[in-house]
Amino acid sequence: MSDQTHMLAGHDLAPGDEEQHSVGARILGYVVGLALALLLTATSFFIAGTDLVWQPSIPVALIVLAIAQMGVHLVFFLHITTGPDNTNNVLALAFGLLVVFLVVGGTVWIMSHLNANMPPMDQIMPMRR
Amino acid sequence: MAMTATADRAHADPHHIGVVIEHPGPAPKRIVTAYGFWVFLLSDIVMFSCFFAAYAVLADQTAGGPKGSEIFDQRNVAIETVCLLLSSFTCGMASIAADVRNRFWFYLGMAVTCVLGLIFLAIEFREFADLVARGYGPSRSAFLTSFFSLVGCHGLHVSAGVLWLLTMMAQVFAKGFRADVLRRMMCFALFWHALDIVWVGVFSVVYLLGSGT
Amino acid sequence: MLGKLDWSAIPFDQPIPLIAGAVVLVGILAVLAWVVVKGHLPYLWHEWITSVDHKRIGVMYILLASVMLLRGGSDAIMMRIQQAVAYQSQGYLPPEHYNQIFSAHGTIMIFFVAMPFVIGLMNLIVPLQLGVRDVAFPTLNSVGFWLTATGALLVNLSLVIGEFARTGWLAFPPLSELSYSPGVGVDYYAWSLQISGVGTLVAGINLVTTVLKLRTKGMNYLRMPMFCWTTLASNLLIVAAFPILTATLAMLLLDRYLGFHFFTNEAGGNVMMFMNLIWAWGHPEVYILVLPAFGIFSEVVSTFSGKALFGYRSMVLATMAICVISFMVWLHHFFTMGAGPDVNAIFGIASMIIAIPTGVKIYNWLFTMYGGRIRFATPMLWSIGFMVTFIIGGLTGVLVAVPPADFMLHNSMFLVAHFHNVIIGGVLFGAFAGFEYWFPKAFGFRLDERWGKLAFWFTFFGFYVTFIPLYVAGMLGMTRRMQHYDVAAWRPWMLVAAVGMAVLTIGVICQIMQIVVSIRNREALRDRTGDPWDGRSLEWATSSPPPVFNFAFNPDVRGEDAYWDMKAHAKQQSHEHDAPEYHDIEMPRNSPTGFVCAFFATIMGFALIWHIWWMVVLGGIGAFATFVVFAWRDHDEYVIPAEEVAAIDRVNLAERRDLVSMAGTV
Repeated sequence: MSDQTHMLAGHDLAPGDEEQHSVGARILGYVVGLALALLLTATSFFIAGTDLVWQPSIPVALIVLAIAQMGVHLVFFLHITTGPDNTNNVLALAFGLLVVFLVVGGTVWIMSHLNANMPPMDQIMPMRR
Repeated sequence: MAMTATADRAHADPHHIGVVIEHPGPAPKRIVTAYGFWVFLLSDIVMFSCFFAAYAVLADQTAGGPKGSEIFDQRNVAIETVCLLLSSFTCGMASIAADVRNRFWFYLGMAVTCVLGLIFLAIEFREFADLVARGYGPSRSAFLTSFFSLVGCHGLHVSAGVLWLLTMMAQVFAKGFRADVLRRMMCFALFWHALDIVWVGVFSVVYLLGSGT
Repeated sequence: MLGKLDWSAIPFDQPIPLIAGAVVLVGILAVLAWVVVKGHLPYLWHEWITSVDHKRIGVMYILLASVMLLRGGSDAIMMRIQQAVAYQSQGYLPPEHYNQIFSAHGTIMIFFVAMPFVIGLMNLIVPLQLGVRDVAFPTLNSVGFWLTATGALLVNLSLVIGEFARTGWLAFPPLSELSYSPGVGVDYYAWSLQISGVGTLVAGINLVTTVLKLRTKGMNYLRMPMFCWTTLASNLLIVAAFPILTATLAMLLLDRYLGFHFFTNEAGGNVMMFMNLIWAWGHPEVYILVLPAFGIFSEVVSTFSGKALFGYRSMVLATMAICVISFMVWLHHFFTMGAGPDVNAIFGIASMIIAIPTGVKIYNWLFTMYGGRIRFATPMLWSIGFMVTFIIGGLTGVLVAVPPADFMLHNSMFLVAHFHNVIIGGVLFGAFAGFEYWFPKAFGFRLDERWGKLAFWFTFFGFYVTFIPLYVAGMLGMTRRMQHYDVAAWRPWMLVAAVGMAVLTIGVICQIMQIVVSIRNREALRDRTGDPWDGRSLEWATSSPPPVFNFAFNPDVRGEDAYWDMKAHAKQQSHEHDAPEYHDIEMPRNSPTGFVCAFFATIMGFALIWHIWWMVVLGGIGAFATFVVFAWRDHDEYVIPAEEVAAIDRVNLAERRDLVSMAGTV
């Protein structure tokens, strides 16, 4: 033990708290976030309604845009960063996202297989006829 | 003294081998409260993910009823989305005002947030009432069941948020910007912003994906 | 006015629940009368019911779990007797009553015995082990406990008012849908779980935040006692999994109350989605229960072997691995329901993989014991009994993780034997080990060892005599939940299992005797040093029972096994502290918020079950008002002056100095 140096670590930041900024800088952050979010939302709505792009790409594009916008919200409104004082917040978020991914992805995957092997009643009945 | 010793050691040992970072002890209340609420929000998002999963599974089960593209009104959804985005911004303004203890801007920010939230709820309520009146209520088909539950669950959260917001304003009016009030305000802001994130999922997955194809 | 509620709800034609209910009611009234007459009511109200002290709340959780264990145990006895006598006959329980009993048994044992027991132990010990004064959110802690109690109350209310679910402990649709279960049984089930689920979620958030944000100075992650690590993992699972249960039950309730079509057979609803979602919660739930037990065994084995835990880091890694992998195995609960070979194979492999970190833990405990100076005290007996029993349960688990084998064994008595093997052998043995180990810390006197050892041996052998026959019956093709049967080959095994149940009952009686005897001999069993087992972690560094503030000073931790190091250090220097300078301590004030909130939740839950809508609104407004009143209070803390802290701490230090000097002379 004695050959080790003991350093005292600082506390993490609270989720939602920013590092020290002036009021002007903070307002600017929200303005930038709002602008980006509105831009991404507008793009989503535009892409969903247009026939200018290749149709099968639309669902993928919508999902990518949605994830991007969630990222914008996390960074500019919830102030989640990759800084060392945010480790705990980001780890909790990562665990939550993993579970969300497992639950949604797993459910869709499992249910599609169950439906293929054992269709619900109202789909079996017409098949029998 | 200790500082220089640490600094020397850091130079001699750039990769911090042999340096033990000591935990500084219990965190201040503001961090503890916000972190606890953050964990709650994550659990809430897991709950939403179940309703999203149910929607994904049941979206095609229309049982002879209407499909999504027949009942969704993109214009309404766009207005709802803009309302929520703007309310997130005004909520941010209100929390800055609370941090610098400016009552006027706090009340203004919260009031605008509240009005925007109520407009959102009113539009959603009208959409639901309209669908039910046309006979497309949640018991019409599994698709409508999952649609009403997912969107309604978000709507209930917004309603709870509005109730919380009004309580928050009353509390600042009665108690001023006390430390515990500020902590609650921070939690409220987290809650409101998180609802916005859920809404991004809702309008992308339900309304936009659902109205295509 | 009263919704569906009328006199027909009370089962006048069924003597068993009515008599049981009457006995319990008389018991409760007698206790209440005694409390009021003796003038203990103010004490109870100020010191326990409104308490926000994590130690008191932990004790109340364990008390709730113990009472519910008796209720769930009576259900078990009734089922074993029924299956012993119902060979080519109807037995003594009619089917609709038998179905309620096995549903209530499962629900109560998981949600109102196992959960409160482990949450209670975590509440009681984790802040002490972390060297802090309370959990992160003391008042919410109290709210969480009282909401759990509300759930338990509603389940037991169903005994005399209305009925309980007849659907099994997970209420699978379409049986649990309105068309097949039109009574209030499923509603009792769902609402009591929704309300207690909120309580569990609150407890989970509270403990995650406590471990991650409230550790004493120098308590780095890799210096935390193993129990704190398993608490962290278990509560992360609570936070991530319980919302899934809430959502799933909400969907079922929407189906039942508002005619939605999530899980119905009509209009495109999908029954299998319920299996899928409920098990996405259900499998992590298994690990929520067993991980804290693993932590308890780690503490007990290391203390009673007089050695540091072997492979501490591998243990941490194994714990966190289980925490993540437990979310990837849920399909193995419905292998037989048609997912196809590729899905089954992947979930089968994942289910086998999760046995690996568990195996790592078993080896670590064995190596901890290896070469140690082992003391066979009661907690250690429970731990060794666990290792033997849990390995058998784990191996049968790996067996049913193989999909083709599962097709043979699914829903048979083999499965029943398997999960009782892991839950009794893992969770219950762990809870008892923790109970024996930490009882002196909570109450200041040790438990009687003779009765404790008797309880262990009766429970241990009773368990085997009860459940090994069930394995055999399962392999002979007996399915679970049978009210009667005609197969002669099963009969002897059911009779043996009934004998085993009698032995288990003797074990429970010994446990009760142990507590009674220990309370009567408490002066002889008094623990004056606060360290009766020669412990290693910080909970033993304070007096037994600890003062309300736990530690006069937040301890400064320098390594693993913090208190062991402190003792070694103190022996070298032959004194523990120089005369320290004491400071005022601020502690959270007690609050009736939890109790009042649970009162309104009970009203609301009852009203929802019986469709009494005005009462629902009333309960909701009451609960909201309670929180507003709480948010409005001006003083949330009180100060314990430095002199009082000093007076309490000096007594503790004096006792401890005697101990250390005695140990020095040996």
